[in-house]
Amino acid sequence: MERLRHDDPPRLGPYLTLARLDADSTDGGALPERRYLARTADGERTVLLCAPLPDAAAPAAWAMEAELASRLSVPRFLRPASQGSEAGLPWYAVPYTPVLPLPAALAAHGGPLPEDLVRRLGAALAAGLAAAHARGQAHAGVSPAAVLLGAAGPLLGCFGAVRSAAPGGRPGLDPGCLAPELRSVGRPEPLGDVFALGAVLAYAASGHTVPEQSELPPGLRRLLASCLARDPADRPSAPQVLHALSTTGPARTPAPAPAPAPAPAATPAATVLDEQAPPPLPGRVVAALAAQSAELLASELPAAPPARPAPQKVH
Amino acid sequence: MPPRSPLAPLTHTDPERLGEHRLLARLGSGGMGTVYLARSAAGRVVALKTVHARIAADASFRSRFRLEADAARVIGDRYGARVFGADPLAGTPWLATEYVIGPQLDEAVRLGGPLPEPAVRELGADLARALGQLHRSEVVHRDLKPSNILITATGPKVIDFGIARALGDERLTRVGSAAGTPAFMSPEQAGGLEHTPAGDVFALAGVLVFAASGHAPFGGGQAADLLYRVRYAEPDLTGVPEGLAPLLARCLDKDPARRPPTAELARWLAPSGDGAFADGLPGPVLADIARRAAAVWEQPPPRLPAPAADPAGPASAEPRPGISRRRLLTLTAAGFTATAAAAGGAVWAWPDGKRSAAAAPQDPPAPLWIFGGRNPGRAGSPVRVGPHLVAAAGVGTSVIDPATGRSLADPHIASSGRLTTDGKVLYGLRTWTTGVKDLAVLAFPQEYDGDRPPVVTLAGFDAAEDLNDLLCAAGGTAVLYAKSASDGRWFLVAASLASGRELWRRPAPAPTGLDSAAVCVKPVKGGLLSCLRTGPSDTLALSLHDPVSGAERWQRSLPVPGAVPYQLATDENHVYLGADTLQALRLSDGAPAWSFGQGRDMGPKPYGQRRYGVPAVRDGVVYANEGARGLVAVDALTGAERWSEIPLKDFRAAPDTTPAVGARYVYAMDMTGLRAVDLRTHRPAWRYPTPATTLTPDPDNTRLYAREESRMLAFPME
Repeated sequence: MERLRHDDPPRLGPYLTLARLDADSTDGGALPERRYLARTADGERTVLLCAPLPDAAAPAAWAMEAELASRLSVPRFLRPASQGSEAGLPWYAVPYTPVLPLPAALAAHGGPLPEDLVRRLGAALAAGLAAAHARGQAHAGVSPAAVLLGAAGPLLGCFGAVRSAAPGGRPGLDPGCLAPELRSVGRPEPLGDVFALGAVLAYAASGHTVPEQSELPPGLRRLLASCLARDPADRPSAPQVLHALSTTGPARTPAPAPAPAPAPAATPAATVLDEQAPPPLPGRVVAALAAQSAELLASELPAAPPARPAPQKVH
Repeated sequence: MPPRSPLAPLTHTDPERLGEHRLLARLGSGGMGTVYLARSAAGRVVALKTVHARIAADASFRSRFRLEADAARVIGDRYGARVFGADPLAGTPWLATEYVIGPQLDEAVRLGGPLPEPAVRELGADLARALGQLHRSEVVHRDLKPSNILITATGPKVIDFGIARALGDERLTRVGSAAGTPAFMSPEQAGGLEHTPAGDVFALAGVLVFAASGHAPFGGGQAADLLYRVRYAEPDLTGVPEGLAPLLARCLDKDPARRPPTAELARWLAPSGDGAFADGLPGPVLADIARRAAAVWEQPPPRLPAPAADPAGPASAEPRPGISRRRLLTLTAAGFTATAAAAGGAVWAWPDGKRSAAAAPQDPPAPLWIFGGRNPGRAGSPVRVGPHLVAAAGVGTSVIDPATGRSLADPHIASSGRLTTDGKVLYGLRTWTTGVKDLAVLAFPQEYDGDRPPVVTLAGFDAAEDLNDLLCAAGGTAVLYAKSASDGRWFLVAASLASGRELWRRPAPAPTGLDSAAVCVKPVKGGLLSCLRTGPSDTLALSLHDPVSGAERWQRSLPVPGAVPYQLATDENHVYLGADTLQALRLSDGAPAWSFGQGRDMGPKPYGQRRYGVPAVRDGVVYANEGARGLVAVDALTGAERWSEIPLKDFRAAPDTTPAVGARYVYAMDMTGLRAVDLRTHRPAWRYPTPATTLTPDPDNTRLYAREESRMLAFPME
């Protein structure tokens, strides 16, 4: 939760903005949109409010992707609950629950996340992507900052960021998440999501979307390498990623991971992850979630909702 | 299995809003009031603690409530819940604090097992600093225990200073609850003595033993056994890490002087590493904190509809549980009390603690003596037994020299009933212990040592029932309020003090929750007058019983809101009650003799509740607090007004403390203190600042005893 800046809108639709969700973009934090914590003027509803970047080439395309996301019902995909536009700037809102963008979670934890948690996040996200892919729908916006980590596990925002970027324009995602084929052709396909998921999990486990192999936990190296294969044909499908993550425990010794093809059968020692269950979060991540929740509970609306952008202090 | 949401639905009796807050959900509720999740007009979401309006009508509760808010401010945001606002003077007083995200320590240990040593150390260091902060402000906590400590991701927060515990603690159970859970009491507190900052250190060590091992240092079980162990047994440090045990053992020394001060404790406990507090918490506790952080944002459950049988719409009057002695006892024992005077400072001895008798013409007299011992409740007024004064003190009983205030003996008398005497012998119920079947009355003829055989033994009653009570022992007859062992029904039971046998029993209303239905039984002209509360409403049932057969000569029910008259005002003609009017009932047939005050302008109704306080009668005149105005004196025979007080400018009424009548003054409580109103001039002659809750005239009318929560003051009575 960050302070508003002078160029942030004080109000979007019925919502008064209270704070930014994201810190300045850092490694892995590049973001195709702006996200705010906001509240209705009567104080009744607090929301996560998203809007395209001020210099977005095609705000209308962004709004169309939001519209599509609101109609999809895919587990783990952030689902806009209301949408609108204010002075040509579209927005959508989701009822607030405490969440940390993945880069903020790493910052709070003080470094890469434990392998077990990375696996659980990966399994949950892969399950969501698999459900979308089964309907022929690519997410096309998977990046570390698109992953919102909460008590109930991860949510995936930034739906359609690659599609809504103007042809040739930059989607605003961390470049490490952009599959090579997207740089040339453009039409996002499900296996592009798998590449991006590999980059996200690499980020969670190492702090970089394009890590050295040695930076990754041995048990994840082969799976992530296969996700990040240059040729889409060499990547596992989302269900295969899910299967690989949920049937092997974290390897303490460098053990061959069953990738890219799924393991034919679970080994006796394998644990089956329930990707629905809330993952156990590290202490400092919980502390950051609780701090965000507490700060927002205690926050008050700006004294007089300004009708026009009022000058605000920078920092 | 996901734990249930901390948000419970509002009920049809909860108001829509309180002050500027809109209520969203209930977080907890108890006999004293309710804690709500609420939202301010500016959209801030808070925990809103409230006290039932009816209880708030009692001045002492308002002052406690104010103290609670002050204590929360003293302890600060780091170690306590941030205070956003409070209105102790509102019809329903409220206190708005930060909604603290985390489980109570006892719940945390239940969820995740004992905490690892680094977490215990950090917990202890933080709590030691928190107590240090309180102590520097001349505040003693007195009730530190696991359920008063919330475990957040950044450290512990001390949330309860008395009222709040009784408010929020749904787990308050009747068994062993008479004095709260004494498992973390200091030995001096268990002995009814003053609990100093060193007592808080003792309690802190007990909390840490619990956090590190999962058990309290003196175990659990029956309050009486537990209290004995707290005072005399060695603490059980099984399971406490070796690095902590010696230090905690020092803190648990029976001698307060040998316990380390909080600053030293914080230094010793402070963990060496720089790990975050959350890093040391077990996974299930972290998961619970994360869940709570999210759950508070969920849509609150819809308000419960009114039951079909209850025509009351939303925001109707709150249910009004009366204040039983035991509930008061619970509250007081749990209490963060106004002990600053005893602790050496006056910052918060009493909200208006500057000697604000300014407007009274005379200086108040100095107290003859001050006795330090906690008052477990309203019905615990001191009684005279022969040459001695006997008073409940803490969970025990003290025999006091009425001339000097010195404690003469500390007898083992059951603390489970009220003090009952015929003036010569003190009577009490035998403390229940496992295996005892019969209900028994013990007698102490001015000697208080040794075990005594019971003077009355009653079979067929549930001896373990906490609300059994000895109401009266006079004229050779003891009257008890007791629960039948066979069918759970409640009776008024009379027994002969000579033969020890039951004489008669009459059906009586069952307690409502923790509230005993028994108010009092008093021998009057023509029989035994009983006063019982019927149902949860404010209805009192008065009956005159034949002392031999128990048969009711007459019965009358009437609405009497506010504090119940533990000391019924009677003379040889009437019994007097204060409610919407001041009224007299004839002892001969229970018919109304007169009613006073209909249509009288008495200023704003105090707290919207009752107009006339509990009256006192002497020499043919009835005295009662009237509305917001002060005392009124009414002819006992005719109900005609004799005079009305000419109050001080800054007078604020406190209607629920019975006045005491001397030869020259009538003594009454208001929100500022004790005042002596001159019977001739009808003006207050002096005022002494005290938050006393009961005034008791000595039978010889030379002394007046004023009981505060933690001490008793004796004044010369004129």
